[in-house]
Amino acid sequence: MRSLFIVPLLATLAAAQAPAKVKAGLVQSIPVDGSIPDDPVMAAYLAPYAAKIKASFGQPLVKAPLGLFRGRPGEENLLGYWVADTMRAAAAKAIGMPVAFAFTNSGGLRANLRRGQLKVEDIYEVMPFENEVVIIELTGAEVIQVVREGLLHRGGEPCSGVLVKVSGTPENPILTVTWADGKPIDPTALVHVATTDYLYGGGDSIPTLRKGRNLVRTGLTLRQVMLDRCAALDKAGKELLPPAPGRYQVPPEFREAIREKKLSL
Amino acid sequence: MERRDFIATLGAAAAASAVPLRAASAAPASGRITLLHTNDTHSHIEPFGPGNGTLTGRGGVARRATLIKQLRAATGASLLLDAGDTFQGTPYFNLYKGRLDYRLMRMMGYDATTLGNHDFDNGVDMLVAAMESMEAMNHPNAPFAFINCNFDFKGAPHLAKRMRPYMVREFPGVKVGITGVGVAFAGLVSPQNHVGVGWRDPYESLRPVVKHLRETEKVDLVVVLSHLGYQMDGAYDDLRLPAHVPGVDAVIGGHTHTFLDVPTRLPQALGETLVFQVGFGGVNLGRMDFAVTRGEVRASGGTSMPVES
Repeated sequence: MRSLFIVPLLATLAAAQAPAKVKAGLVQSIPVDGSIPDDPVMAAYLAPYAAKIKASFGQPLVKAPLGLFRGRPGEENLLGYWVADTMRAAAAKAIGMPVAFAFTNSGGLRANLRRGQLKVEDIYEVMPFENEVVIIELTGAEVIQVVREGLLHRGGEPCSGVLVKVSGTPENPILTVTWADGKPIDPTALVHVATTDYLYGGGDSIPTLRKGRNLVRTGLTLRQVMLDRCAALDKAGKELLPPAPGRYQVPPEFREAIREKKLSL
Repeated sequence: MERRDFIATLGAAAAASAVPLRAASAAPASGRITLLHTNDTHSHIEPFGPGNGTLTGRGGVARRATLIKQLRAATGASLLLDAGDTFQGTPYFNLYKGRLDYRLMRMMGYDATTLGNHDFDNGVDMLVAAMESMEAMNHPNAPFAFINCNFDFKGAPHLAKRMRPYMVREFPGVKVGITGVGVAFAGLVSPQNHVGVGWRDPYESLRPVVKHLRETEKVDLVVVLSHLGYQMDGAYDDLRLPAHVPGVDAVIGGHTHTFLDVPTRLPQALGETLVFQVGFGGVNLGRMDFAVTRGEVRASGGTSMPVES
């Protein structure tokens, strides 16, 4: 038998196994839903942790009869506007000076605020991150550039203090940014801007925020200023209502061009 | 030549020449393995509450535990794996800092996970504290492994000693190698939250690990726990991984919260890669079954290949 003759040679070589033949069998995504009973051991282990969560996070906060929603694609992010307004007001209070502009990122707002009585946990779900409100100084030109970067990156990020309009055609777009009262922005003026340490640190690709001068850390998380605002409204006997729409006017053809990364502003 | 005859021939020859041939071992020639997996569970310990659209009422770890127990009892050899982003998303994370998430994973019998960007949300020290809390609990299940091959942990020694680039688990007829890769920190994780941890090209990091698993560890199945994302704008994602890293049988993906009903099958130089991801928040449990048939024994080089003909 031929193979017997070559075995001494073979044995001096590394013996190896051919790759195994791998065949996929059943593959599926199995829904974890109410048809599956709780594991009793797990449920018992969890109970005290859940009770503690409920006690601290189930506290009523304020009524929001209309809710505040991030909006579907093409709709304005009214929840984001409220968050930006809230951080701008808190920043102004923290430094005792006007804050002209506030900017946050839609990706950081992780849930909507549903209609009805809000609880502490609802705010945690919107803003689970420990991001801190920071104040920087930007020129008017840099404020406009931040707005532009947010438009190109995500179709327009939540902000406070400005009105934004895109007109012309997708081939020749015109970006108009004014202060909220319609007054023009002086490109050379230095203004205070509120944002988060995350965005200032380069998160979510708004590079111009990194140019901020004279950083002030407020020591307040964005979540805390939202909780404080809700508590203050409730204490004053008021409800939490969404801000008016109209900060961003971006017609559909521009939104489409942004999605397809074809727009240059 | 039939495999059995060939083994017999080799066995006789090996005895004659007194050279042990590892390949002619008594290991079973075939086996099966079930991979069960989650990704981006994001501290969703309870089911999703009202107002969450189609997710309302879905998820919850107490149910997931039941499902895992039932499936593992029915399937035999199995691994329970996760693709990262265990942290952040509900008040459970804010209050319990990820410690509860990891402890529950150990109770459910997870074998391994990898690190997602959000697992760094409270910084490296808090991540290590959550790992320690899971390791310190008194539970019959062993602590699970943390796997990543493209982060450089040199500057974070406490984290480094809890991470491994890969692990190997052997079952009757199937030897499985598991490795993991994570997404770049830039723009996702604040620099102060990943102090001492660097990022490297995931494809370049994977290639030698996959080669080592295949050629040295001689695994039958290579699984990558990936937090790169299913489809991304940049150069790195799960859909592009198979073309850059041949020899991966399954990618258990995360990061993009992609809901797939079945894995995407992609051809690669050494066969096929199944890329899977099952949404987020623990609303689904992924399952991939593999049947492994071990190949014929052959020499790895030289001129003696006629034995196969």
